Amino acid sequence: MRITELPDIGTKYELESSEGDKVAVIFLTTGEIELYVLEAGAETPSVTRLTPEEARRVGGVLTGTVLTIEREDVEVTLPEISDRKINIHVYPVTEGMIGKSIADLAIRKRTGVTITAISRRGESIISPPAETVFEAGDMIVAIGEHEQMKACEREVFGSK
Amino acid sequence: MTFLLDLAIVTISCLVLGLVSKHLRQTAIPVYIIAGIFLGKSGFDLITSYDFVEWLGKIGVIFLLFYIGHEFHYKGLKEHGRLLAGCTDFIVNFFAGFSLGLLIGLTLIEAFILASAVYISSSAIVITTLIENKRLIHPEAETVVWLMVFEDIILVILLVVLTSIMVGNSSAIPISLATALLFIVLLLAIIGRLSNFISPLFERDDEIPILLTFALIFGFSAIAHHLGVSVELVAFFLGSALSGVESFKRPFGAIITFKDLFLTIFFFSFGMMLPIELSGLPSANFVIALLTLITLSILGKFVSGAIIGMRVHDSLEKGLIIGAYTTPRGEFSIVLLAVAIGTGVGVSELLSSLVIAYVIILSLIGSSIARYGDKIGKAMAGGINKLTTQAHRYR
Repeated sequence: MRITELPDIGTKYELESSEGDKVAVIFLTTGEIELYVLEAGAETPSVTRLTPEEARRVGGVLTGTVLTIEREDVEVTLPEISDRKINIHVYPVTEGMIGKSIADLAIRKRTGVTITAISRRGESIISPPAETVFEAGDMIVAIGEHEQMKACEREVFGSK
Repeated sequence: MTFLLDLAIVTISCLVLGLVSKHLRQTAIPVYIIAGIFLGKSGFDLITSYDFVEWLGKIGVIFLLFYIGHEFHYKGLKEHGRLLAGCTDFIVNFFAGFSLGLLIGLTLIEAFILASAVYISSSAIVITTLIENKRLIHPEAETVVWLMVFEDIILVILLVVLTSIMVGNSSAIPISLATALLFIVLLLAIIGRLSNFISPLFERDDEIPILLTFALIFGFSAIAHHLGVSVELVAFFLGSALSGVESFKRPFGAIITFKDLFLTIFFFSFGMMLPIELSGLPSANFVIALLTLITLSILGKFVSGAIIGMRVHDSLEKGLIIGAYTTPRGEFSIVLLAVAIGTGVGVSELLSSLVIAYVIILSLIGSSIARYGDKIGKAMAGGINKLTTQAHRYR
């Protein structure tokens, strides 16, 4: 990575890929960010000008803080913490769970998944205590690793 | 209330012409000057108080130099060949202008002014074109940007030399030079000492930050003027000193706005004050001198660009591209002439009308050359390569 000051313009960060393509990011003094891509052997680069917000999103994708959103399912990878993906999922309460508490179902003990919130009649119960009893119509926010979530879907939500 | 009429004339004419030139994707500097020529002394003479408009224009020059001083980066100038490139640019183009000036019968000092105007490119046009043409990823674009930085340094040196050699008699030169240097050192020391005290004042949300900025600019300028030191130089060093004060970032945004406004008025006022008889202007000798000057200036930048390209990038083509991008002249050539006139020693009408016509034409031609700089550089390099291979074959 080569860093160059371009007085009156901004700062240029430049990288040549192993294929010989060039990528440059220029932080303009105006606050916007220009992204240059120059294929090896090509004359004219492709350039786009991003707002700081757009640049942050692109940056997030590139550094691996990926958000894969699949219906109500959110998968987050936090590279600083671990390589494993953390899943956050919203489940509707199932029939077999109604009338039982989190402790009764022993969700964490059996699957490793933690219930982080319950949405009940438009209100949220954040970090519900273990004795919270599920009611019909509850939406449950659960967090855990991918395999744990699969186990939880099978053993807790699937059981009638 | 005549000042209202003057202000209306200046702003409306510049607004309309500015819009037109931006629409045509041309630089607006020449049209502001032309507006001044047409509405001012040598044109329709519509301005009531020339002094008033001229004062506003002078504020524009002070703000421009203040801005350049604030944005001035010298770190990084020593990297791979940048100094060499800067010196090549200066030597080739300054001496081209200087020798032509002597040839057409200007005095030594006037030839010096002409050479300065010929040497210095328009950073405003050059930088905008580089961004618009999407050149920033290429290494030669960096060289061009640093050439502009080097030109800023030379601009300051030229200002020092100009304002001290134009004090009248030669015995006063060392004294005026010493006064200027002493004043600048004193200014830097004062700002350095006071920075802890003024820094929190710049962070306030009321009118204090901008008032303080103006007070510093006008305060130091007034003292400088009283002592006979160049006001423009002082503005440059004040800007440079304040760039070290972290909290100054906020009022600086407003200063850029003021600079843009007053600099436009400066271009207008410069055209407005020009003592040329529009009908008597195009005498044959004048036109020949002007055309030679323009041709030489364009050639000069291509020659210096080619040398820089071969030495720094090992490529004639990149060098010719550098040449094409540095061709536009503009604001600094006019500023240097204005400063020279401002010393009151007297600059011949020949020189001022020559420089004015030169800047108007070369800012337009130059920005077109810069816009197609890549194609022009490529075509020229191809042509030169063909010629040299043919020369080898026939030998």
